[in-house]
Amino acid sequence: MLCLLLFLSGSSSTKICTPGLKKYALPPDYSGTQIPEKPKLKFVERAPNVPKVRREFKNLRDIRGPSTEATEFTEGQYGILAMGGGYLRWGHFEMIRLTINRHINPRKMFAVWRVPAPYKPITRKGLGQRMGGGKGAIDHYVTAVKAGRLIVEVGGYVEFGEVERFLTQVAQKLPFPAIAVSRESMQEMRDKEEERRQNNQNPWTFERIITSNMLGMRKFLSPYDLQLKGRYWGKFFLPDRV
Amino acid sequence: MAAVGYGAGFCRAGWQPSFQLIRHGSKAVTRHWKPMHFVRQKLMEVTEYIPPKPLIAPECMPRVKVAEEEHGFVKFLRRQVEQTFLENNMIAVCQYNYAPGGEIVLMRHRLRKYNIHAKFFPNEIITTVLMESKYKNLLPLFVGRTLLLVSPETRAQEMLRVLKSIPQIVLLGGCVDNTLLSREGFANYAKLSSLVATQGAVVGALSVLPSQTSTILQRGPVHLTSLLDQYVKQQTGDGAEAKEGGDS
Repeated sequence: MLCLLLFLSGSSSTKICTPGLKKYALPPDYSGTQIPEKPKLKFVERAPNVPKVRREFKNLRDIRGPSTEATEFTEGQYGILAMGGGYLRWGHFEMIRLTINRHINPRKMFAVWRVPAPYKPITRKGLGQRMGGGKGAIDHYVTAVKAGRLIVEVGGYVEFGEVERFLTQVAQKLPFPAIAVSRESMQEMRDKEEERRQNNQNPWTFERIITSNMLGMRKFLSPYDLQLKGRYWGKFFLPDRV
Repeated sequence: MAAVGYGAGFCRAGWQPSFQLIRHGSKAVTRHWKPMHFVRQKLMEVTEYIPPKPLIAPECMPRVKVAEEEHGFVKFLRRQVEQTFLENNMIAVCQYNYAPGGEIVLMRHRLRKYNIHAKFFPNEIITTVLMESKYKNLLPLFVGRTLLLVSPETRAQEMLRVLKSIPQIVLLGGCVDNTLLSREGFANYAKLSSLVATQGAVVGALSVLPSQTSTILQRGPVHLTSLLDQYVKQQTGDGAEAKEGGDS
């Protein structure tokens, strides 16, 4: 009791120090995660294996606007998301495959392609050839990727922090803007976009002006703008637009 | 530049042109950023996103501390502290300094022989638990690194004897049988004889008087009878003497 009274009398000036408590974060839940038999990215063929090939038109529409396929995750939790349109060549495929396969631990992680192998023929005329004389020979094949498409998926017993580095490293080397995403961050992005659309304080939206053809604006716009609503320009995606 | 082409489905209803001009020069999708038409640029500027402006700026709002959900480990430790204080009769708070080698382990082992257990809890947890309990007055003891020595029995003597051998552990105070004790209080408490012995002494002291009761009660009548005996003896002696006197 005496001792306590001594303490209490001095307690007005002394500060009671309490050391911090170590916080143990709960480990992530990996229930339902299965590693497939072949966890690494498969080799992609340089050219499609068909006997007779036709030279196609340029058909640049295939990289314009938002993607309708491979926009959602299937097996993995993390991936590379295209933030613009572009063409992937075989070299890009090899770069992605080698980099990701080098970084993943096949016992803990897996990766799957979300883009088909190069299918679209691109023609070139030979070096030093004069112009004219018809369309050139097929030089290589490419895969068209639209904005919002997942390129690869990575999953397994890993957290986003572990895969983000090499996914970003790969994404920076692609021929279009791309980012590393997880399921959560992608959902967050979409929620934010929706929230921005709902809470836009600007009464004059692109869609409203173009649908009612205010000031004859349609004269300077294309029919594509009706569906793309000013969020895409050519192969570019404008993420800041609503 | 311009070529003649037949547009099927170009104009959906009404008059259909027999031929039309198709332009092949300009592309909508280009490798580079194609500059927009000036009117379209203006349209893009006009239709920019404007974020909602709160009535009161967030900097001016009072800071609301987000109630963080208590971690499971913290809950577990708190429960253990509560249990320790509930189950034990003797709780001693010691300052815990670094002791080299396995001295702490040895001390714990020696203490465990007397059913005294050493417990380590973070001060943060103990403070929050004790604030709401009746042991609130113990709080000033929990400064720095502390160690709890607890026992369901009250074995202060043994505890002090073990602690004497290890100077790194300094006894600060504690609580025995719901009584707060300082360090000196613990020493005084240890000097007291054990409860059984004290009880025996009390019982002995108390049983002395009842055992004497009968003798005290009997003393009066015994005294009276002895007096009467004396008296009778004296009377008979006097009568004999008188008889002897009368005869003579």
